[in-house]
Amino acid sequence: MPTSSSLFADYRTLPGTWDELFTEKGAPRPAFRKAIDAIGARSGAEFATCQALAERALLNQGVTFSVYTDQRGTEKIFPFCLVPRMISGEDWAHLERGLAQRVTALERFLDDIYGEQLIFRDRAVPADLVLASKNWFPQLRGVRPHGGVRIHIAGIDLVRGPDGVFRVLEDNLRTPSGVSYVLENRIISKRVLPECVDAARVQPVDLYPSRLADALRSVSPVDPSETNAVVLTPGPYNSAYFEHSFLARTMGLELVQAADLFVERDQVHCRTTRGPRRVHVIYRRTDETFLDPEVFRPESLLGVPGIMRAWAKGNVTLANAPGNGVADDKAVYPFVPDIVRYYLGEEPLLEQLPTWVCARDEDRAFVLEHLPELVVKAVDEAGGYGMLMGPQASAAEIEEFRRRVAAEPRKYIAQRRLELSTCPTWVESRGRPEARRVDLRPYVLNGRDGPWVLPGGLTRVALVEGSYVVNSSQGGGSKDTWVLKPEAR
Amino acid sequence: MISRVADHCFWLGRYLERAESTARVLGVTRNLALDAGLNPRHVWLPVIIVAGEEHRFQARLGAGAADDGERVQEYLTWEDDNPCSIQRSLAAARDNARSIREVVSLETWEALNALYLWAGSPRARAEWRDDRHSFYRRIRTSAQSLQGIVRGTMLHDDALHFIFLGVLLERAGQTARILDVHHHAFRAIGAHDVIETALWLALLRACSGFEPFMKLHRGRVSPDVVARFLVFEPLFPRSVRFSLRAAAARLELIRPPADAELPGRETYERLRGLAMWVGSRQKDFDTAGLHEVLTHVVDETSEIAGVMGRELLGDAGAVATQAQAQ
Repeated sequence: MPTSSSLFADYRTLPGTWDELFTEKGAPRPAFRKAIDAIGARSGAEFATCQALAERALLNQGVTFSVYTDQRGTEKIFPFCLVPRMISGEDWAHLERGLAQRVTALERFLDDIYGEQLIFRDRAVPADLVLASKNWFPQLRGVRPHGGVRIHIAGIDLVRGPDGVFRVLEDNLRTPSGVSYVLENRIISKRVLPECVDAARVQPVDLYPSRLADALRSVSPVDPSETNAVVLTPGPYNSAYFEHSFLARTMGLELVQAADLFVERDQVHCRTTRGPRRVHVIYRRTDETFLDPEVFRPESLLGVPGIMRAWAKGNVTLANAPGNGVADDKAVYPFVPDIVRYYLGEEPLLEQLPTWVCARDEDRAFVLEHLPELVVKAVDEAGGYGMLMGPQASAAEIEEFRRRVAAEPRKYIAQRRLELSTCPTWVESRGRPEARRVDLRPYVLNGRDGPWVLPGGLTRVALVEGSYVVNSSQGGGSKDTWVLKPEAR
Repeated sequence: MISRVADHCFWLGRYLERAESTARVLGVTRNLALDAGLNPRHVWLPVIIVAGEEHRFQARLGAGAADDGERVQEYLTWEDDNPCSIQRSLAAARDNARSIREVVSLETWEALNALYLWAGSPRARAEWRDDRHSFYRRIRTSAQSLQGIVRGTMLHDDALHFIFLGVLLERAGQTARILDVHHHAFRAIGAHDVIETALWLALLRACSGFEPFMKLHRGRVSPDVVARFLVFEPLFPRSVRFSLRAAAARLELIRPPADAELPGRETYERLRGLAMWVGSRQKDFDTAGLHEVLTHVVDETSEIAGVMGRELLGDAGAVATQAQAQ
């Protein structure tokens, strides 16, 4: 049954692909019917006006990211599509449990491998593979962070296949970014589509900053009410600077740079107009290898000398804890279901993509034979770089990857290309919404009381027709993600 | 507060005030040039000198360029290589705000960002070309509104005090420079009375002092009375003395003088000293000594900014880069 509304009247889903809002037959999914009717009541021209309004608001609010390659730090807005992505209350309840389970297990995993390493003794995952990770820091072994939490903030990337099942694509346990767009996008939706937000019964997201501040203070070395927590940024020319300042502002914390901090008697202090002031918790948005030149990069002028000593002594809490990268390594990813089973004695609630680990002989042989069908990823690259999209690649690119995989198998994993789900997305040039592929990054906070999942997340969308790459550096944009309140029974 | 953040606040205030002041001076001078029938050079060269840009301007555009009001306005409004141009001042104010977005209120940031984006847009260029008066007025009122937004939406804590400290020190220096340079130029022109009165009225307008002056002095315009008004008037918010006293009061909020242990002692003593010194000159004032008073004010405010940089703003650190102080 085609929808009666004018905006989505000509909307077509892609064959063999799950669409987030519409069924294969082109009808609105029942859970979203009211919201889709409210949005679709606009004509194409009316919606175009709304979309333009939203873009101007984002620019005026300075919701921008800096482009690395430009010396002068040009700022751009993260392209935004006003058509929201929606998730039903029921689907969300499942994701929430699965995400909490996964983060809990990864937390236990990190604690173990930086501690006794029982998982290697019990041969539940191969030690050589884990310890060969470039993000494994043997010098941190034996340090247990104050408050016992390592993954204070996780961003878990999910994708949805043609069967409608959400699967984990990647874990981000170091400095996951993007949450500011989740909050800003919602502000825009409420401003431009107020009656739609209302009709859809959307769960609020604006409590995130206060939950984050609570989580950070809960693991402070001193009483939470006495705690001086700060946000540490590399500075205004960092691509995510907007977010750093956004989080500091919405949490009411000070935003500091490394040069504002110094360590004395293994305690961290901040330089102020009234002299030094002690710092207890640091939400760091700097790469861990630039945290402390004493530990990581002696040649680096960046960082705060001695900060790792202060951390190891429990005098300051670093969020996230240094060393987490080993658990979100793409080479460790295939073993996360085993990690869940080993530590929690439960079956994983979230599925993930079947993955071939090129370090293993059998897997490698299969990968080399099937390169044109597979997506090959370098384990230490992110942002969609260092990747072979087999089905779209030229013969030369495939040969290039054959050579690379054979030369350094540990560096690569492979998966089948997933038909990422689509969502109606506004296409300016055609004046109508068309199906574009999306992913989802929900955020999990973790304090003394255990994990909490933000009801929402960052939906990234590949704006280019036919594209599977959602990264902002490569033509991706974002959407507001509406998690609907559970139906009253 | 964090020293680096205080530094950004201070410079945010200074650049904002500078953009406003430059727009006001250009607008008024343009009016004057139309009215007074003076040699354009006598009108426009002082404006370049007030901005401290005489050398760079002449090196770039030639000694004769100050005859051309359009080129002077172009240079002081748009020139990328001129750190005092309106566009550069707005960009610098906005850059400072961008570095401390968690400190300034959202409303402040949005208004400043919108002003900056507008100034860089073709719409602003078109307005400058087609309706110069509106352009300058818009810059002026936007900058003034921004100060109101700061006052009305931010906590009145150290961040706000540092912003206004920057505004007030910049303002004291600007008023002193504008008065000094024009006073000197007026004498050089040697115009007859009617023209001279027009010049002094323009000067008052350049300092937003026309109406306040008229309210207090009922239309009696003489060089001596105008100069006294701009230097000493305790009720006029742009007089040198008012600005310095208000700046000292801000600093007292940031650093209570009773607490001798706090950093910033020399800054405070010199700022307060300067304010008192200016006050003490009122009694035997005559316009012959004006230049000496104003030169001291300009030099000492710039020195005080330097001392403050060392004592309070962490200039030894990585941020001592804002060398555009006049």
